[in-house]
Amino acid sequence: MRVPLQRKVLNENDRIAAGLRERWQRSGTFCLNLISSPGSGKTALLERTLAAFDPARRIAVLTGDIQTDNDARRLSRYGFPVRQITTGGACHLDAHMVESHLEGWDTDALEILFLENVGNLVCPTSYDLGEAARAVLLSVTEGEDKPLKYPATFHHADLLVLSKIDLLPYVPFAIELARENARRVQPEIEILELSCTSGAGLEAWLQWIEKRL
Amino acid sequence: MSIAESVLDAVRAERALHGGARVTRAGLRIGELSGVETESLRFCLEVLVTDTDLAGAGFEIEAAPWTRRCRACGVEFRVIEARTQCSSCASGDTEAAGGDQLELSFLELEDL
Repeated sequence: MRVPLQRKVLNENDRIAAGLRERWQRSGTFCLNLISSPGSGKTALLERTLAAFDPARRIAVLTGDIQTDNDARRLSRYGFPVRQITTGGACHLDAHMVESHLEGWDTDALEILFLENVGNLVCPTSYDLGEAARAVLLSVTEGEDKPLKYPATFHHADLLVLSKIDLLPYVPFAIELARENARRVQPEIEILELSCTSGAGLEAWLQWIEKRL
Repeated sequence: MSIAESVLDAVRAERALHGGARVTRAGLRIGELSGVETESLRFCLEVLVTDTDLAGAGFEIEAAPWTRRCRACGVEFRVIEARTQCSSCASGDTEAAGGDQLELSFLELEDL
C-alpha cells in the first residue's frame, strides 16, 4: 500500500516555533536569531550591543553552544538576563530548546530577545525558532563567496552583517563582491557593515534593531 | 543527524495513522534550500534504522529544485548558480517560489 503524503519533517519544531512567535507578538517582543560560522563575532556583537543599551530596558539573551557556558558568562556582565543553551552535541538550536530555556523568566514585558545560535552556517537554517528576523554574520576574514557556498542560510536571512571591517586593510576580502553575492542569493536582504573593535557601523546596527521594536 | 531523527519520528507517526503496518519504503522531498545534504541524510537514516522497527525500510530521496517566480512576467524558473533574475525576461524583480521543502512525500506499507 502506497500512501501519498505531504508532511513536513520538522512539523513538531515548527509547531513550537509558531507558539513562540505568537507569544512574542502578544508581548511585543522583538526576537532576533543570530547565525554565523564559528568565530564571526556573534558574541562580540552582542557584547557591544548590550553595553550600548540602558540596563533598565527589558532585554534578554539565549546563547547556544555545543559545550561550555563561556558565552553566557561573557554576556552576563552587562546587567541583562542571559542563559546558556548547551546543546551537548547538536550543531543548531531548535524551538524546543528555546522554549524550555525560557522557563521561569517573566517574558511578558520583554522588549528584545536575542538568540545566539550555535556557530554553523548549515544546520541552524532548517530550524525556525519563532524569531521575527534572522541576521547572518559574515566576517571579512572569511570568503566573500560564502553566500554562494551556503545559499540556504543567506536565502533565509533578513539581514547580513559584514563584521570585523577594521581588518579590511589586512585581508583580501572584496566587500562589494560579498554584498553582490548575498543579493544574488537573496535580493531583498539588508546589509550592514561594522566592527566591534573600532565601533564603526554599530550605530546603524542599533538603529536597525530599534526600528523593529 | 537530528533531521534524520525527525524524519523517523514523522515516518512512525504516519505509519501509526495508517494502521501500523511495516514500512518498506519512505519518500522524502528535500529542497535545495533546506540546508540538508541528501547523501549525509541517507547515511544518517541508514545508521539510525539499524536494529529498529524500521530496519529494512528503503528511503527514496527526491531533490526539489530552488525556484523563483518573476513578478514581471509570471514565469516560475529554476535558480542555477544562484542567479535569481528571471530566466525568461531577465527582470530582477523575482520572489521565492520553492526549494525549502523538507517533507515526507509517501510511505509504502506492507499490508497487515
